[in-house]
Amino acid sequence: MADDAPASADRLNVRDIALEVVRRGAGQPILALHGMQPIDPAARFLNLLGRHAEITAPSHPGFGDSPRPADFDTVYDLVHLYLDLLESLPRQKVTLLGFSFGGWIAAEIAASCCHRVERLILVDPFGIKLSDRETPDITDVFNTHPDTVRDREWHDPARCAPDFNAWEDAALVRYARGRDALCLYGWKDYMYNPQLKRWLGRIAVPTLVLWGASDRIVTPDYGRTYAGLIPGARFGLIEAAGHHPEIEQPEAFADRVVSFIV
Amino acid sequence: MDVWWQCEIPYPYVPQDVLAAADSVRGSLPNKWCDPKVAADLYEEVLDEFLLCDDEGMNVLAIEHHAGINSLMAANPMFVGILARQTRKVRILSLGTLVSLREDPVRIAEEYATADVMSRGRLEIGFVKSGGTEMASNHTNPVGNLERYWEAIDLIRKTLSSHDGPFSWEGKYFTHRHVNIWPRPWQQPHPRLWSATGDPYTAAEVGRRGMVHVLVLRGPDGTKRAYQAHRRARAEAGLPKVTTDNFAYAAMVYVGETEEEGRAGGSKLLWFLNTSLKSSPQLSKFLPGMTPPEFAPQIYRTAPRPTAAAPDMVNAEKGVAPASQNAAKLMSLTTEEAMQQGILFCGTPDSTYRQIMEFYDKVGGFGHLAMIGRSGFMTHEESVKGIKLFAREVAPRLREVKAMLTE
Repeated sequence: MADDAPASADRLNVRDIALEVVRRGAGQPILALHGMQPIDPAARFLNLLGRHAEITAPSHPGFGDSPRPADFDTVYDLVHLYLDLLESLPRQKVTLLGFSFGGWIAAEIAASCCHRVERLILVDPFGIKLSDRETPDITDVFNTHPDTVRDREWHDPARCAPDFNAWEDAALVRYARGRDALCLYGWKDYMYNPQLKRWLGRIAVPTLVLWGASDRIVTPDYGRTYAGLIPGARFGLIEAAGHHPEIEQPEAFADRVVSFIV
Repeated sequence: MDVWWQCEIPYPYVPQDVLAAADSVRGSLPNKWCDPKVAADLYEEVLDEFLLCDDEGMNVLAIEHHAGINSLMAANPMFVGILARQTRKVRILSLGTLVSLREDPVRIAEEYATADVMSRGRLEIGFVKSGGTEMASNHTNPVGNLERYWEAIDLIRKTLSSHDGPFSWEGKYFTHRHVNIWPRPWQQPHPRLWSATGDPYTAAEVGRRGMVHVLVLRGPDGTKRAYQAHRRARAEAGLPKVTTDNFAYAAMVYVGETEEEGRAGGSKLLWFLNTSLKSSPQLSKFLPGMTPPEFAPQIYRTAPRPTAAAPDMVNAEKGVAPASQNAAKLMSLTTEEAMQQGILFCGTPDSTYRQIMEFYDKVGGFGHLAMIGRSGFMTHEESVKGIKLFAREVAPRLREVKAMLTE
């Protein structure tokens, strides 16, 4: 598929929820779970990966244009939603690719049940508590000044951070909706499940943990320890990238992913 | 009309350059700037003022705010306990401990029942939705706050009015399998309940529940609209009409012997607006859950887009004007503007009475005036003088305004 191919957005039904979804490419199946915001259909990494893989990237309930039922409000719900989705996919097995907050969900899914997961790729994932009780591992994106969050999130904020003044109204509404949903799911305990660390050892599929070398939302050291808790997991740094290596270094990111899955 | 005097016990003695450099004077300003000796003097002065109100026959009102220069009343139930014991005559309104921030509403009911019994039935219980800085400083998820607010109120009400042994509560936000408080409240089935809100959705729910509905510094238009939403919701639910006794308005009020003295006192109260509202963006406009996503274009853009067609927050009938927007308008008010907008009533007893009644007529009447009588750098002596003059010259006239049915 060409780099400038139009994004196709449609719906993916899981039980009673019609998820907004981005689909791209052909090849090995990848289920991509987004981070703090849905994956932008125009993101370059989608087209790069799409040359080798068939990507399915739903928006979590409450994010983008995906509805969220009133009683759907925990990471527990997200994990079960995607376990259900994995069961319903036509392929027997898929590669699970989780970014940031979606990396937490992907790790939970893989620790819970691996039989539909071919491989696991975690990109700057949240989800576990490592440091002592007075040292937060993950920058609080709700209680920290937005300028500080921006600096910690990007290797090169001037080039990559969003310029809200240039955004359309609808995009800003989507963004705010995503912030509300992220806060609902991740406020407390802030972006981790205190029990998950114990169970990461259950993950029994080949795993790659990728990290932006300049990520200060959650640092590469956290990532190294995270990878060390998953049996056989490989850890890789992507230079000149912050919390979103797939955005800041799409080529390097796609190369790492493709060489892992092909 | 009943009159309720209050002082939020602000702490204005932080150096101006510190306040100017801080991105927030609430939530994140280090408490090294709060000298406990100064705080102790403030507590003593203001508690004495509350007791003076008791002598003068004016009801008292205690609020709650956290972690900022705007208020040292972070632990509302402690003040309510002191007032329950040390006042002897007047009614005490807790408006109120921030219920959606506290883990256990049953404990809140226990505190209130205790104060109601101690005061031999003089307690009134108010509920306030929390602001962004409070959410952060109390580690409470701001998303879902309103649902949690109502569930907490439901559980408190049931706890206060259940007398036949333990009951169980397994709600969405609170679970408590063994609820049975001692003492039960003095007033049966429970003390009167109040709720402070300006947005039409919450106003409607306050109406359906028949609570006393308080508007704080909202001016005539917003106040009238909220009272109307309250009445309309009752009518639509087939509930009986309510009198003005269901409505309250909170404004800054100061009277002096002359117009100049009254206005000078009134202008000192504006410190609350001009200085103590400053909040950092992540603790106010950007905090999730505080504003519907539809308002994002106005919140996220730093430069306006001329073509943007976002909802008009001030006039949106069905929209919810964000508290941060309201705060932004209030921060730059002058004394004259505050008086024109019905946020500040001040002057001589005669002119202040007139201002209050003009506002009363504009909004369709209310049965309770909650007066913010001391703020900022106002001295204890000035506050005492204002309380005495208001209690003797204005309050008796307001008490003659009887509750009535209004449309």
